[in-house]
Amino acid sequence: MRWDELEELLRAAVRKEVEEGAGRLSGLEERVIREILRWPARKSWWTRAREFFAQPTPRWALAGVLAALLLGFALGRLTVSSPIPQWSSNLFVIAAPGARSVSVVGDFSAWQPIPLSDPDKDGIWMASIPLPPGRYEYAFLVDGKWVGQDPLAEEYLRTFGEYVSVRYVGGERAGLSS
Amino acid sequence: MPAEELELIHRSLNGDLEAWGEIVARYKQAVFAVTLSILRNYADAEDATQDAFIRAYENLRKYDLSRKFSTWLFTVAANVAKNALRKRRREREPPLPEPEGDPAEEVHQDIQLSAVRQAVAELPEGYRAPVILYYWHGLPLEEIAQVLGLPLGTVKTRLFRARSMIKMRLVEQGVIHDAVG
Repeated sequence: MRWDELEELLRAAVRKEVEEGAGRLSGLEERVIREILRWPARKSWWTRAREFFAQPTPRWALAGVLAALLLGFALGRLTVSSPIPQWSSNLFVIAAPGARSVSVVGDFSAWQPIPLSDPDKDGIWMASIPLPPGRYEYAFLVDGKWVGQDPLAEEYLRTFGEYVSVRYVGGERAGLSS
Repeated sequence: MPAEELELIHRSLNGDLEAWGEIVARYKQAVFAVTLSILRNYADAEDATQDAFIRAYENLRKYDLSRKFSTWLFTVAANVAKNALRKRRREREPPLPEPEGDPAEEVHQDIQLSAVRQAVAELPEGYRAPVILYYWHGLPLEEIAQVLGLPLGTVKTRLFRARSMIKMRLVEQGVIHDAVG
């Protein structure tokens, strides 16, 4: 399956989900207007905020901890271990003079940022990342800004309206198609 | 902004609720998609959609007419939905919606579609909204970042990760082979 076919499926799936629920919106206009006309009975944002923070238990703090745990769990699930041998070290390097932070994101890291460093402060940021043979899509984040075209990449593709770079690790273009 | 829409907003600013009703009719499904992407539950998304239009009307004077109206409205909706999500967490956490339909009776493409819907529903919080805003609304990434209050780079990485997760899930289920590319 090609990426564009998967994207088309995604588009259709999202459309179907929204449309299935949209029947509930019948008569929403009247309900909104009725509610606006009842304004004096509505509590202000400030009143609700005071009531919330006046609760004896800081439940919002517990909710934050829960969210952090869930996020940690979700990110943990993204870490994929591969049994493929012959990992090799791959240098990711970009010139970004004056940048405060530079990282690389790619399918090899489930698009989580891996920081690059510039120890001698010459504006050349780099990181060495061990990877098994394969085809990898990646981009740099320079001070949070997306830099999708690495001059050292073997090819580029455009996805979500942005460029990403492609690198093949291993011989014969890694013999992989995804 | 289309002149007709601008007129509706001006009339709404002058207290014409019929004009605001017209705005609601135009945008209710789009706003519903925003709230659904965050709340993952039809009933809650319906409530949040109603609340978003009320909140937007209350704050209409703060809307800068030089900005794109839909982006502002979606931002209000996303904030309402995020607040509702926090409130719901304090009270309960409903299960993820199950796509309807009997897979045994579906043709191949429908099976794929159901599997994709399920994979989207199972995305971690924070990943689903960019996916829906991108694939349903077709919003540019800059607008998605604005609506969700996220840095642009974060939106991009979340979209890439979300797509990888969906692909991984579909491969696990045998719906697609690994060779996406």
